[in-house]
Amino acid sequence: MILDADSFLEKCIYSPEGLRADGRRWNELRQFKCQINTHANSSDGSSYVEQGYSKVVCIVNGPKEPDGRSHTFLDKACISVEVNIASFSTVDRKKVVRNNKRVQELNTTIQRTLEEAVLSHLYPRTQIDISIQVLQQDGGLLPTCVNAATLALIDAGIPMVDYVSACSAGIYDTTPLLDLNTMEENDLAFLTVGVIGKSDSLALLMMETRMSMDNLEPVMAIAIAGSHSIRDIMDREVRRHGKQRLAKKGNM
Amino acid sequence: MSHIVLPGDTVDRANLVENDSAPVILGPGMYQDLSNNQYPINAGLINTTKKRSNQLIYVDYNSKRYLPAVNDHVIGIVQGKHSEGFRVSLCEGSAPVQLGEFAFPNASKKNRPNLPNGALVYARVSAAERNIESEIECIDPTTGKDGGFGELKGGFVFDISLAYARKLLFKGGIILEFIGECAPFEIAIGVNGKIWIDAPDVRTIIAVKDCIQGSEHMAPEMVRAFVGETFKSK
Amino acid sequence: MAVGKSISLNESQFILRALRESKRLDGRSFSEPREVDLSFGDEFGHAQVKLGQTWVVAKISAEVVKPREDRPFEGGFTINTDISSMASPLFENNRQSDDEVIMSRMIEKAIRRSNSLDLESLCIVAGKKVWNIRADVHVLNYDGGLVDAICIAVIAGLLHFRKPDVSVDGEEVSFHSFEDRNPVPLSILHMPICSTFSFFQVDQSEDANDSNNLPERLDPQVVLVDANAQELILSGGDMTITVNKNRDVCQMLKSGGLRVEAYTILNCVNIAYEFAVKTTKLINDKLKEDHAKRNVGNIDQLLSAENDR
Repeated sequence: MILDADSFLEKCIYSPEGLRADGRRWNELRQFKCQINTHANSSDGSSYVEQGYSKVVCIVNGPKEPDGRSHTFLDKACISVEVNIASFSTVDRKKVVRNNKRVQELNTTIQRTLEEAVLSHLYPRTQIDISIQVLQQDGGLLPTCVNAATLALIDAGIPMVDYVSACSAGIYDTTPLLDLNTMEENDLAFLTVGVIGKSDSLALLMMETRMSMDNLEPVMAIAIAGSHSIRDIMDREVRRHGKQRLAKKGNM
Repeated sequence: MSHIVLPGDTVDRANLVENDSAPVILGPGMYQDLSNNQYPINAGLINTTKKRSNQLIYVDYNSKRYLPAVNDHVIGIVQGKHSEGFRVSLCEGSAPVQLGEFAFPNASKKNRPNLPNGALVYARVSAAERNIESEIECIDPTTGKDGGFGELKGGFVFDISLAYARKLLFKGGIILEFIGECAPFEIAIGVNGKIWIDAPDVRTIIAVKDCIQGSEHMAPEMVRAFVGETFKSK
Repeated sequence: MAVGKSISLNESQFILRALRESKRLDGRSFSEPREVDLSFGDEFGHAQVKLGQTWVVAKISAEVVKPREDRPFEGGFTINTDISSMASPLFENNRQSDDEVIMSRMIEKAIRRSNSLDLESLCIVAGKKVWNIRADVHVLNYDGGLVDAICIAVIAGLLHFRKPDVSVDGEEVSFHSFEDRNPVPLSILHMPICSTFSFFQVDQSEDANDSNNLPERLDPQVVLVDANAQELILSGGDMTITVNKNRDVCQMLKSGGLRVEAYTILNCVNIAYEFAVKTTKLINDKLKEDHAKRNVGNIDQLLSAENDR
């Protein structure tokens, strides 16, 4: 019985007709929805990002007075990231231990990726707090968090060289698949890339599962292309929001 | 005549000191307890020298951590600036020492020295008290001129053991002469185990560094060949 | 990495100047890793790796435990890395910095999550008794390339380790001493080997005037393989790639730091693969050497329970 279910799933991941379990083609992103300035009163910058069923809220506070000596740098701002994963975000209601190594790694990875894009030297002796609340998880946790943090930083008006956008991609047999959901992540080898702007250069690269060296190039290429489209969608939302704000100002 | 002593060994004064009646001064590595017993407290070579009418007994021992002593010539890294001067690190992990802003030749309220963080200075230890921060100065107190002290620009700095630094500085190891035959270079030796070198090109600097670091435990007769080889291989 | 160490301006400027002239202080070329010095201790599963000044010891041990309820057929495998201030004053005792967390996660991913140790072969009685393998890693000295060295030490230790032979008779489990029966090696499915790359933005401003040799220097980014501690302080970011000799990439991590072109990364993967092939061969050679030393008088054959047919 178990074997049957497995082979059924296997077929579902990528059908011979070229469709994935959720009906996407190999190079399609999941629905990407984003909003900025969602928590205007409680924060300096905020955003809400949905990538398929992965949902994340991000709040940025700062640049502000640092929380003590260890958060003070003389030449740049201290960016601190805290990811909080809600215990109701996955199917199994496990109690998420705070400060476990996986979350700590996530924090550090996001922080270092953003440091590359944020012009933190403009705000010495300050701190920029980024807190990310994960509401729902369906694959691509790291990319969703990075995208949400970028939008929130832009909303907070913190100078950056360009958008940081991230996306995951995996490999099924010899076909690269873009933007995996949990089911696909569990079965396939995949990697996550983060790019700054529309370049081919990576600020973030993370791979945790075994993948053949020869598949690396197509997977990386499609992940970069996916990040570029995500950047465009985010850019559209920021511009839309900007126009809306301007229109309101004009009416006054 | 020197020989190896270990902490707690008994020291036979009659053997060490020629003139038994001369007053004896105990140097580094020696200790006298309340009942006037003198014994070494560090492992190393015991040495005696005559200083005016006194006999000096000290132990020449090797260590890695530098403790400031007055009149030592040292190389430090500027770590920060405050209202009265600079904070300078002489030894990784030790308390920083002070370099006053008037401890430079021709320094005044209007003419303040400006050293960036990370700059190297060659200086003299001017105060080393047990319970207060040690001080260094970039000035020769007898002449009021720079006396070779001051900021070291360019070049490269690296660490060696303290005993080796003392040997290079006081006994002027032959190694430096041999290197000088191969290429011209500048050197500043701090007894805190830091050596600064400069030469016109990168290749020479790396070669000089490899020569100095590689020949610490080498027999004198092998040094020349070693230096030649190091320079050839670069 | 390694923040907090005071490095003088002179040093950093000199190292960058040397890099501009395609030189490293220790005389290596940019893509040349340090020589791996691997040795084994007297006991099984005790491996020592020296990579330049970096010095790492791994000891593998095994005990019998009850398996996890959801995985009754699988044994356990844990890796403990102990990075104390013995290795370098950069590391604090009893406190893990971000770098150390990332480092231990990387080792975990490279060896444990890539399934290099076959956990199902550790089962003795399903649901009752399984072997729990434990790797204790101690870092004795630090000079960069820590993940690389730890990974080699753990893999070599696992390959060197022998667990006592077990015979199962119904519910009865008996363990045979090493004298009694030849101890059994673990089943290792593949050997992941890590390589660390460091990226440098070499500023051209200092010699912008001499445009004679520009063609060589179009790419201002320098990639160093297996940087030492001094180089790591100055690097603009690093990346660790884990590959085995079957051309599988087991783990890759580049968290932030300088942006790097995708093709540069693919180049790095190839360099990592070469290093993996070389190191795998080295580990196997050393294991053979060690085995020959232990197998004086062909004890193996005497103790072997197998018939040669």
